[in-house]
Amino acid sequence: MNDAMIRARGVKKTYTRAGETLTVLDGLDLEMEEGHFYALMGPSGSGKTTLLNLVGGLDAADEGELIVAGESLADLSGSELAAWRAANVGFVFQAFNLIPVLTAVENVELPLLLSPLSRAKRREHAMYALTLVGLEDRAKHRPQQLSGGQEQRVAIARAIATDPKLILADEPTGDLDRKSAEQVLDLLVRLNGELKKTILMVTHDPHAAERAQRIVHLDKGQLGRVETRAAAAT
Amino acid sequence: MISFKLVRRNLTKHKMRSALTIASLMVGVFLLCVLKSMVVALESGVAGAKRDRLVVQSAASLFIGLPLPYQQRIAEVPGVQKTCKWCWFGGYFREPKNFLGAFATDSDTIFDVYPEMEVIDGSIDDWRKDRSGCLIGDLLAQQFDWKVGQTIPIISANYLPPSGDAWQFTVRAIYKSESSAVDRRTFFFNWDYFQESFEKVMKRTPDTSTIVMRTKPGADQNEIMRTVEGFYENGPQRVQCTTEAAFQAQFLTMMGNVPFLVTSIGSGVLVAIALACVNTMLMAFRDQAHDVGIMKALGFTDGGVSGFMLGQSMLLCIVGGGLGILLVKGLEPAFMAFLGSVFPGYAVTGRTLAVAALVTVAIGLVAGVVPAIAARRLRCVEALRSVE
Repeated sequence: MNDAMIRARGVKKTYTRAGETLTVLDGLDLEMEEGHFYALMGPSGSGKTTLLNLVGGLDAADEGELIVAGESLADLSGSELAAWRAANVGFVFQAFNLIPVLTAVENVELPLLLSPLSRAKRREHAMYALTLVGLEDRAKHRPQQLSGGQEQRVAIARAIATDPKLILADEPTGDLDRKSAEQVLDLLVRLNGELKKTILMVTHDPHAAERAQRIVHLDKGQLGRVETRAAAAT
Repeated sequence: MISFKLVRRNLTKHKMRSALTIASLMVGVFLLCVLKSMVVALESGVAGAKRDRLVVQSAASLFIGLPLPYQQRIAEVPGVQKTCKWCWFGGYFREPKNFLGAFATDSDTIFDVYPEMEVIDGSIDDWRKDRSGCLIGDLLAQQFDWKVGQTIPIISANYLPPSGDAWQFTVRAIYKSESSAVDRRTFFFNWDYFQESFEKVMKRTPDTSTIVMRTKPGADQNEIMRTVEGFYENGPQRVQCTTEAAFQAQFLTMMGNVPFLVTSIGSGVLVAIALACVNTMLMAFRDQAHDVGIMKALGFTDGGVSGFMLGQSMLLCIVGGGLGILLVKGLEPAFMAFLGSVFPGYAVTGRTLAVAALVTVAIGLVAGVVPAIAARRLRCVEALRSVE
């Protein structure tokens, strides 16, 4: 039995928009094991991205307890949370979110600035991450010189550069064509299989979700059914 | 360093915007330095004034002369070491725009009263021996490329020459001085020559504008001033005896609040430029809010992203201000030549440069503080939701 990477107990999150209170997560209980690849599905507004933001420490729950990678996120101060994020979580966004003025290798190196590594070691790590995603020959290219699929692979390289335990991917194939999407999904499966990263991927795409080991459904802010697949499809 | 690269590349992302802001800072700092140097030049006479020099002038006005016998009586006051006359001659070389600060003076005592004057070409004796000889400042010599032995025709609006249309003087010595109390563009000539020529034309003895005295070490200057003023309390011409600093200060007073006005203009320009920099940095923050959100998601702290915005502002201002400082220092010789006759002693001092550097840093901080605070407060989730 693996340890829990993510444990949510009674997590509640509400937003106020135009004077109206909207409950996005309503006492969510959830447990996700370390080393697994999860797909998080559900209709729009079901709270998928909100949950991802809470798990990644980008936002705070209003109520309940959320323990991720052994830390109760509610107990961490802003700077502690930032340090925790830098050490434990890698993000992959739908819009890639690369810094446009930096080259591919510099983008990958960016989170490593927060580590005690020397300049040479940082560059070495960044190049290794780029090699893992098959883009070592694009190291000096700026994001606007890359295709969407390549940009997303650079974003994945950035997400794994600091060797985090958990990778959070928000619709990573949402802006990609089928071929690029497959390459990105292959990469995530490899990261899970070979590097034992725990992956939580939000997606609308059932085809993408099938690549995960478990598919968790959210509906109206509450946990729906959980589908378990034998192994991640490669 | 990648973090510096990030700061630098964000600034060069909008080249025109950054270049214009840098140019405005450069011009602003340049103007500040030039204006401050003018004020320094105006005040340099006061700052460099010697404590052991006193100046006697008419109590009514500097434009009213003092009878010659006054000098002898003043020279006999206990505590007075040496005296010399300064009689305003004015005049110009060839055309009125080449106006000179020319004075008739006592060639035998002027170097005793102004020991900080140093002859660097020609000799004092040659000047003393030649009745129509003149002693000129090194900057004046440079300005007109005058050499020792050269004859200089000077036209005076106040005094007719002994013969012909112009007074003829021969350069016999060139002086310089490190003291700001001594103007290095002054033209001195022998009193005897002036008196002789004046008497020939005017049929009377000339007056002098001022009498400057150097006091003996330890002399009671207040007592000397009281004594001198007391001599002529009942005429024929009442005098005012002041320290050299007070004498120089009256020229600043004559200009009213020019130093204040000049400083105010410089400050106003800088405030306007600081506001332009704030605007540039706010635009930069708006452009980069999404990037700030990414950095926060990657683990950069609130302080880290604040520093990132502040770093951009500081770099922008340091480049602009630094260029302004380099420009003003590089153009200093040209400005000295151009403004020297109006602002003798114009020089960009280390203090002026330090003020410019401080102002540059202050503008950098002011321009960067608002985006830095905004970056600190920016919620990561909202920043990531925004589309560039």
